[in-house]
Amino acid sequence: MEKMLTIHGLEKSFKEKKVLKNISFEVHKGEIMAILGPNGAGKSTTIRNIMGIMYPDSGTITFHNYNGSDIPRNKIGYLPEERGLYKNVNVMDILLYLANLKDYPLDKAKERIMMYLKKFDLEGKEKVSVEELSKGMGQKVQFIGSIIHEPELLILDEPFSGLDPVSQELFKEEIRGLADNGTAILLSSHQMNLVEEMCDRLFMIQRGEKVIYGTLEDVKRKYANFKCTIHGENNIDELQGIPGVLRVEQKDEASILHLNNHVEPSAWLKNLPDHLVIHELKINRISLHEIFIDIATDKNLLKEEGVMYA
Amino acid sequence: MRNSMKVAKWEIKRNMKNKTFLIGLFISPILFLVFMFIGSLFGSESEETETTQVFVHDQIGVYPALQAIVEQSGLNWEMQTTQLSETEVAAMEKSEHTAFIFIDNRALEDGVVPVYLSEEINPFFMNQVQLFSEPLHALKISELGLSEEETATVLQGISFMEAIEDNASFEESVEEAEGFGGESLERLVPGIFAGIIMLSIVFTGMAIFQSASQEKKDKIAEIILSSVTPSDLMQGKIIGYFVLGLIQVVVFLGLIFPFVLWRTDIPVIEYLFVPETLLLVSIAILSYLMFAAIFVGIGATMSDISTAGNFQGMVMMLPFLPFIMIGPVLNDPNGLVAQVGTYIPFTAPGVLIMRLTMLEEWPWIEIIISLAVILISILIFMKLAGKIFKVGILMYGKNASPGEIWKWIRA
Repeated sequence: MEKMLTIHGLEKSFKEKKVLKNISFEVHKGEIMAILGPNGAGKSTTIRNIMGIMYPDSGTITFHNYNGSDIPRNKIGYLPEERGLYKNVNVMDILLYLANLKDYPLDKAKERIMMYLKKFDLEGKEKVSVEELSKGMGQKVQFIGSIIHEPELLILDEPFSGLDPVSQELFKEEIRGLADNGTAILLSSHQMNLVEEMCDRLFMIQRGEKVIYGTLEDVKRKYANFKCTIHGENNIDELQGIPGVLRVEQKDEASILHLNNHVEPSAWLKNLPDHLVIHELKINRISLHEIFIDIATDKNLLKEEGVMYA
Repeated sequence: MRNSMKVAKWEIKRNMKNKTFLIGLFISPILFLVFMFIGSLFGSESEETETTQVFVHDQIGVYPALQAIVEQSGLNWEMQTTQLSETEVAAMEKSEHTAFIFIDNRALEDGVVPVYLSEEINPFFMNQVQLFSEPLHALKISELGLSEEETATVLQGISFMEAIEDNASFEESVEEAEGFGGESLERLVPGIFAGIIMLSIVFTGMAIFQSASQEKKDKIAEIILSSVTPSDLMQGKIIGYFVLGLIQVVVFLGLIFPFVLWRTDIPVIEYLFVPETLLLVSIAILSYLMFAAIFVGIGATMSDISTAGNFQGMVMMLPFLPFIMIGPVLNDPNGLVAQVGTYIPFTAPGVLIMRLTMLEEWPWIEIIISLAVILISILIFMKLAGKIFKVGILMYGKNASPGEIWKWIRA
């Protein structure tokens, strides 16, 4: 796949504290790349460095064949985490201003604005003052502002925060659609279920350092073993003795059996003793959400299990 | 630069569509006009001061000479002779604005002239009446039997006069000082014009302050900065508000000019199109650039205008500094305060405009030094503002302390 953005060896310090340590990743044309990490891990700082709002202490940022301050920023769309709009202007004016700052032809911008307002259920709101919009409507306008100039690279920092499920779905579809049309998308989000549904590859960062980088499949294969949840009163030692079980967590009547990553679920199920009390049984992979919490809380249990049997 | 112009255009468009700005645009000249109109009403009323009736009881025959003096000096007096005696006048109830003067031998012998006044009288009357002392003095001397020449010498008295080499220019300046109209107005008009421009654009420029902090409050700074550099954004704001200031000037003058032309007969246009106007207006523009840089920098350090700290508040007051100096500078345009004010960056433009308006001879060396001070200050403030703006504009939700600002400047 064509490389759109390459980050190599990015380092940044605030005062004495190093907030980014040797960050390297790529974003390809037409893919959705997620950048994940707990609050304060360095996601927004990485993004601000890409956008030229901050400058890294060392490392390179390459977009197509441009470096650093030569990067044509009108080819990039950006929706920052801390975002807002001028209050006392109307929707059309502010969107045209944003398009103009990106050197996008205004007549074409006008057409696209009308098309997107319709798409996002904001038809007829173009003359409405921004301060009269609800929070969700405001977010939609901000989103339109970031894609109005048909960017080749779109950077979205927490695009889903504060959106209702209907709007989330709308955003998801639009982002997927843009990627299908060739836009490279760098997405930061805390909503792991959405990331899991959408992204092709992911980069997880903790305290300014890379912890995971790869395709969703790779990551899942590497980190996300199967786990089997059994509802019913059973002896923990007996469960622990079943082949392929790494460890068991028990809560009330439910037992969660963490399995090693060689386990084939259909074959493994045959190992269950006949006398086990089973009201309900569920077997599934560990979710991105669980991996995220594991890393963010520094437990690193899942990683060790993955590595141990890799 | 292209991006700066886009930002500038946006700031202009945004404000010109903003009701608050539009109301402000018209309200200040309208208020000014209202006060000027009310002032002119009072002014014309005070011109019609009551005529003072002056009755002279003349026993030594100087009445015609006194009448001539009153006519010459243009006093609003109506002179009449009277035969009433002093005791009668002292006892009678005098109608308003009336004075009785008794000129008899006492004036020649003791040098005293009794004057009786009504209760209501022009407060300056007793000063004005001193004009009569000269002919009486002359009469007294001539009684002594001196020749006319001797009398003139005695009467000449002694006066202290500043030595001026070129006698001709001295006379000229005396003439000018006497007729406070003509030529001084000619200098006053460009000065006032530049003053209006300076105040309008500097005050409109204060909105930059709000605009910069609003950018943070509305959290749009980062979106804008993903397309333009911080210095583009800063320059755009400075240019935008400069144009808005000029629009304010045009509206102001557009409303005031017709009024001035209607109420006065000053040939304003003629006085305005002189080379001096160019320098004065340039000073006004430089003044704007300096304060705009300060405002845009400081605005970026504040999360909200209503939470401005002491430091920010003090900076806001800087453009008002020259006002403190108005008194001393107008009193003595070449005095110490005026000269010191010419070299302090914050007061230099205002004081310079005041001084150049007042002074007949322009102190070119001082002007050049002062302009250099202003230009260097602009460069320094622009550079500092750029550094502060770059960091401050992205610091949401918190005011920067002077310590932090200092750190950004050193970075």
